Amino acid sequence: MNTLVSVLRLPRGPDPNGRGFDPNSPRFIAMCPTTISASSETGTDSVEIGEEQRARSALRESFLRTLIAMTNKQVQFHMYERVKVEAKFGASDIDVLNFQVSELQTPIGVQKEALLRAKHRKMLLMTVYDADDPPTELPTDD
Amino acid sequence: MAMRQTPLTCSGHTRPVVDLAFSGITPYGYFLISACKDGKPMLRQGDTGDWIGTFLGHKGAVWGATLNNEATKAATAAADFTAKVWDAVTGDEVLTLAHKHIVKSVNFTQDSSCLLTGGNDKIIRIYDLNKPEAEPQEITGHTSAIKKALWCNNDTQILSAADDKTVRLWDRNSTEVVKQLSFDMSVSSMEYIPDGEVLVITYGKTIAFYNALSLDMIKTVDAPASIHSASLHPDKDFFVAGGDDFKLYKFDYGTKEELESYKGHFGPVHCVRFSPDGELYASGSEDGTLRLWQTAVGKTYGLWKCVLPEELVSENSDTIYCTPAAPEIKA
Repeated sequence: MNTLVSVLRLPRGPDPNGRGFDPNSPRFIAMCPTTISASSETGTDSVEIGEEQRARSALRESFLRTLIAMTNKQVQFHMYERVKVEAKFGASDIDVLNFQVSELQTPIGVQKEALLRAKHRKMLLMTVYDADDPPTELPTDD
Repeated sequence: MAMRQTPLTCSGHTRPVVDLAFSGITPYGYFLISACKDGKPMLRQGDTGDWIGTFLGHKGAVWGATLNNEATKAATAAADFTAKVWDAVTGDEVLTLAHKHIVKSVNFTQDSSCLLTGGNDKIIRIYDLNKPEAEPQEITGHTSAIKKALWCNNDTQILSAADDKTVRLWDRNSTEVVKQLSFDMSVSSMEYIPDGEVLVITYGKTIAFYNALSLDMIKTVDAPASIHSASLHPDKDFFVAGGDDFKLYKFDYGTKEELESYKGHFGPVHCVRFSPDGELYASGSEDGTLRLWQTAVGKTYGLWKCVLPEELVSENSDTIYCTPAAPEIKA
């Protein structure tokens, strides 16, 4: 009787929540120096590593608080081809690839709910302002 | 007791898988990239099929994908009229190369300094990745869409296959045709083996082997069904092929004898490639999956475990789940 070859487990599939490329993998750590001068590049001692970690935590926290503060605020997206659209900011996904917005005002009508793709290679200007007191002139990306 | 092949199914794509490529062997193992009509090429660990990441950015079907030898860079060719270069460690898009039509094929030189592209505009282009803003060198001549363009002969020459039913060998510097092969029908796939300078071409039900330098024919083998892709084992003792009847065929290269055929896919097989160490081969299908197949069925390798008869729990036990002895290398 022919027996099927045994397998330890099945291949792991994609993570539905992100695009992968785990920054904690050995290959990533070895081949991608961090943008902040990394402890691994110099003979840094544990005190400096601790300080670097604290700085990273502070930056992460600041970024997350910025996102929280933007929730439900009116924002204006400056997109390619000089297109500007206004919406109410909802949330960003974990990789900052998409923004969830409500009441997106487009030239062809208002979208109740929408996902805007963020091209992370170019700058995306977002102007957050108080809906009751909008500025008379908004900055441009010229 | 004979062992039956257990293919490992890699799911994740939502549309047909049309191309796949392995990297060379790196200190972190080897890697596999798959091109899919869902527009989201994926990187996987080559020996296990474990998903590592998805390259996000293309706006259309991805027709071709490749990795450089070190698996530090990836390149993809898509229906959105672009070829893209990616950092294969971070997944970030590094470069977008605009074309005037669907791009079908991408290929790095050995040192990853240049990228070859080919597609429906019938022009082969050479991009210097150190000067991406510069205009690419163009090679014209094909009269139909280019399916595949590959560097050969130490990156001094280029092999291309197109829907004009020709395979052409070009000199990189002069951009002139050195030699040309004509067929009665379109070539469905092409693989270049640098070690030994062998070219594997498929058309109709035929798998043909040529000397890549002279384009002299070495041999041809006919399969039971129309073949879309074939791959020669690094040791040149076997080759595998797949096509319209959903099956994978394994042949003896020396005797041309069909050794085995494997069912598993639920759609035509579009691409098949041996891993760089020859221990497995990967196939991509219209059914949206990639499958990994063992070259030596029953051998312990990757996720496959050799189990002696007395270790089987019961007659019906087909799989054993246990923690692997050594930590897995994850990229």
